[in-house]
Amino acid sequence: MPIAITVPRLGWSMEEGTFSAWLKQHGESVEPGEMLFAIESDKVTMDVEALDGGVLYVPADAPQPGERVVPGQLLGYLLAAGEAAPDGRVAVTPRARRVARELDVDLKSLQGTGKGGRIRERDVRGAAPKKPQQPVAQPLRRTIAARMMRSTQNTAPVTLMRRVDATSMAAMREQDKQISYTAIMVKLAAQALEQHPLLASRWEDDSIVAPSGTHIGIAVDTEHGLIVPVIRDADQLSITQIAARLRQLVQAAHARQLKPEDVDGGVFTITNLGAYGVEAFTPILNYPETAVLGMGAVQWEPVALGNGHLVTRQQITLSLTFDHRVLDGAPAARFLQTLAEVMTTALRSGPHA
Amino acid sequence: MTPHSRFLYRTMQLIRVTEEQLARCHARGLIHGACHTYVGEEAIATGVCAHLTKEDAVFSTHRGHGHALAKGMPPFELIAELFGRKAGCSRGRGGSMHLFSPEIGMMGTSGIVAPCILQAAGAGYSAMLRKTKQVGVAFFGDGAVNNGAFHEGLNMASIWKLPTLFVCENNQFATEVPFQYAAGNPDVASRAASYGMPGIQVDGNDVAAVSQAAEEAIVRARSGGGPTLIECKTYRTRPHAEGMGDYTYRTREDVAAWRERCPIKRYRAALLAAGEATEAELNAIDAEIQAEVARATAEAEKAAWPDAADATAHVYAPARSVGPAAVPDESRPPISYAAATLEALDREMADNPNIFVFGEGIGVRGGNFATTAGLFSKYGPERLRDTPISERGFVGIACGAAMTGTRPIVDFMFIDFINDSFGEIINQIAKMQYMSSGRLKMPLLMRGCVGIGHSAATHHSGSYHSIYSHIPGLRVVMPSTPYDAKGLFLHALRSDDPVLFLEHRELMSTKGIVPAEPYEIEFGKARVTRTGKDVTVVALALMLHRVQTAAEQLEGEGISVEIVDPRTVSPLDTGTILRSLQKTGRLLIVDEAFGPCGIAAEIAAHAADAGFNDLDAPIKRLNGAFAPTPYSPTLEAAVTPPVEAITAAIRDLVNE
Repeated sequence: MPIAITVPRLGWSMEEGTFSAWLKQHGESVEPGEMLFAIESDKVTMDVEALDGGVLYVPADAPQPGERVVPGQLLGYLLAAGEAAPDGRVAVTPRARRVARELDVDLKSLQGTGKGGRIRERDVRGAAPKKPQQPVAQPLRRTIAARMMRSTQNTAPVTLMRRVDATSMAAMREQDKQISYTAIMVKLAAQALEQHPLLASRWEDDSIVAPSGTHIGIAVDTEHGLIVPVIRDADQLSITQIAARLRQLVQAAHARQLKPEDVDGGVFTITNLGAYGVEAFTPILNYPETAVLGMGAVQWEPVALGNGHLVTRQQITLSLTFDHRVLDGAPAARFLQTLAEVMTTALRSGPHA
Repeated sequence: MTPHSRFLYRTMQLIRVTEEQLARCHARGLIHGACHTYVGEEAIATGVCAHLTKEDAVFSTHRGHGHALAKGMPPFELIAELFGRKAGCSRGRGGSMHLFSPEIGMMGTSGIVAPCILQAAGAGYSAMLRKTKQVGVAFFGDGAVNNGAFHEGLNMASIWKLPTLFVCENNQFATEVPFQYAAGNPDVASRAASYGMPGIQVDGNDVAAVSQAAEEAIVRARSGGGPTLIECKTYRTRPHAEGMGDYTYRTREDVAAWRERCPIKRYRAALLAAGEATEAELNAIDAEIQAEVARATAEAEKAAWPDAADATAHVYAPARSVGPAAVPDESRPPISYAAATLEALDREMADNPNIFVFGEGIGVRGGNFATTAGLFSKYGPERLRDTPISERGFVGIACGAAMTGTRPIVDFMFIDFINDSFGEIINQIAKMQYMSSGRLKMPLLMRGCVGIGHSAATHHSGSYHSIYSHIPGLRVVMPSTPYDAKGLFLHALRSDDPVLFLEHRELMSTKGIVPAEPYEIEFGKARVTRTGKDVTVVALALMLHRVQTAAEQLEGEGISVEIVDPRTVSPLDTGTILRSLQKTGRLLIVDEAFGPCGIAAEIAAHAADAGFNDLDAPIKRLNGAFAPTPYSPTLEAAVTPPVEAITAAIRDLVNE
């Protein structure tokens, strides 16, 4: 408890006196019996001794030396070590003040844990509403985020969708489970790109740069995130070879063992979400490429024939996003048309062609 | 007229006319500070400088206008300097008392009367070491000869046979105090005998006599015959400084009588009497000088003022960038702190023949702390120079040497000793680069021990880093490990700034891993020696080691301490300290030196200012007791903060 220091009555007749001076300083520690302050009555000046010990606390509005005082008037307090001053002022560290501002915490509501009840950073943080921790994204995630933003900010993407017959494709896969739909599509896209090289070129400084080769990237989902290894010169490989190469690349991607040459130099990308039942979507361009082909799920569907009969066929939806800066809608649609044709014709030569 | 007599007459007249012009300018208010003229004493500067080249180094005092002009300074540069203009010889930094023109060997004048004696000896040391045949010349008044620098400087110049001239211009008053009263032996020349050098007295108002005496002394100096003291009896016929009263301490009759002995009048009469010159020839010289000085004054009045933005330029030499710090080679056996600096010193002395060491017992003995062990046999007595116990003297000589092309190291053993040379360090060494506007360098390394231990008592235990770090122009380095000691020492050896390299006595034999190859650690780069999150503790030298121990103990209590070793006190890396404070919110500074006005207070002030919003507790300091160092082990242990005090302070701070 703070011990109040008050003006004593010096003799019976004293009604008023003058506070002369503190003989100890604010903040100084005082022992019982030490002279504490001096006071002047009409008759005498007297040094008054402390009856208790403690740290002298003089409030800002306490009587100043030379001021008239009356017996019983409060001059100050003696505080125990670490005890809070009784005049309601709460000490707050500058850091706690700053943090309270940042976290929007009301200092008045806090009980400080520092010396003399001083509010410290920990008191403010303890009172702040808990926010879930947001771990910083992994480097690959951040790279993907940056690349996606670059693509959407720097291209003029349009997506075309088209249902095509996948019966031959499904049949080929049925014969050899080692061959994936994606591997087959790499081969077919390579053939279609031969007729439509614009989709494999890129926009650079107001000119169109022709592709260096038919290097086709495949979007691979790994536990770390999306990665796009490239099958080089896909037009010169058979479907079997493409399938084998793709398996290698996927394995390396999962093991994070892809080399720079495995991911560089793509001119066209294929992304396949069919395994998850997705039918159609709007893939984002793999900047600076001009086109990306999205593959949906291969599904049995009823198809109305020209003669009015209804048959079931295996169908797939192809979603082609292209950069409208490089080419217009019709040539892109013609690429899809070519692709639909080669899907039936090209596969007749078998997987080793 | 011979070129020699023409030089004598012309130079004396140039000094006289310029001085009288400056007196007028002072009265007109064009000179902002003091103006000490040389009127009546012209024969001395003229007679001596007649035998000097611009490679010879002249040092002088507050009454230096005549020396500057005789050494070849154009009157415009002198007048412009007193006018405070940028084109002045000291770029407006000096005025009457601080004239610098190192380009012509006018190495500087000083407002303190005797340091020029030491600096001239230092120039002589450089000349001797570099075998250049230059001489160092000090011009000083009778007021300087009762100063310790005279005693120490002449003695060392004599024992080392330095090519130096000590020219005492005995004008009979030190300001207003008569030399007859102030000197137990008023015969200055006779004092030379005390130091074992020739002492010659000449009539300082007879330019031919001064010239002859100076010529003999300079020839002797250049040929290895050592220094000479020349006392020139003279009189200044104007007041000590322009605007001062003159007849409280001397009479009008005395002054009038000495005016009659005017050296110019006398030389003119002698030239005419000997038929060496005609009136017409001499009048032509007079007229030419009048015109030259009038033109110089007019130009100086029009000259530009210095740019206020340059007021703090040239306090230090331009920063040098250093290569990457060497990686400690763990396979090399640890070496001691003292051995680490010795490695750097040996290597650098082998590469740079301009490095030499001054100190007591640093020659054959190899230093009290083995700081020069084994070097004497490699580099010889001129480069490992045992000195008399004359700290002020050899520090001042080192200053003059550093000004004239060599790189001295003062191995002062204990910092308490070098405090005898405090004036040389703060008035001369620290200021020389600034006052010369960066035209002089001050590559001077002063190294030795600080710190309490071994019952060394109060004159072998000082920690005065805070005092020296108060002074602009000095670098103050205080390494705590052998690795830092070597890197910082090598950086100091390649620095153009004066460096106080302070080695804690209790660390000298501590060992650590030190790379064998040379590497530098830049000044002003603190090292975080331990990372933590609760409290930042800043400490140097021995205290750093105590703080490390305290931090290890506190780790067990869950208190995480971050430790910052500033490594150099000046410059101080406040950035690293503030960054650490930002993290921890609490700051303790532990310093063995006294608390008031110390480096701990300085760091606390920075933290309270720039780190205010990061403070989560009051800033705390732990300092040595505010008392001289006592001898008895129980008393000695009571005046530095022990580990327990540091742990208690950190605990207390965490609970604040």
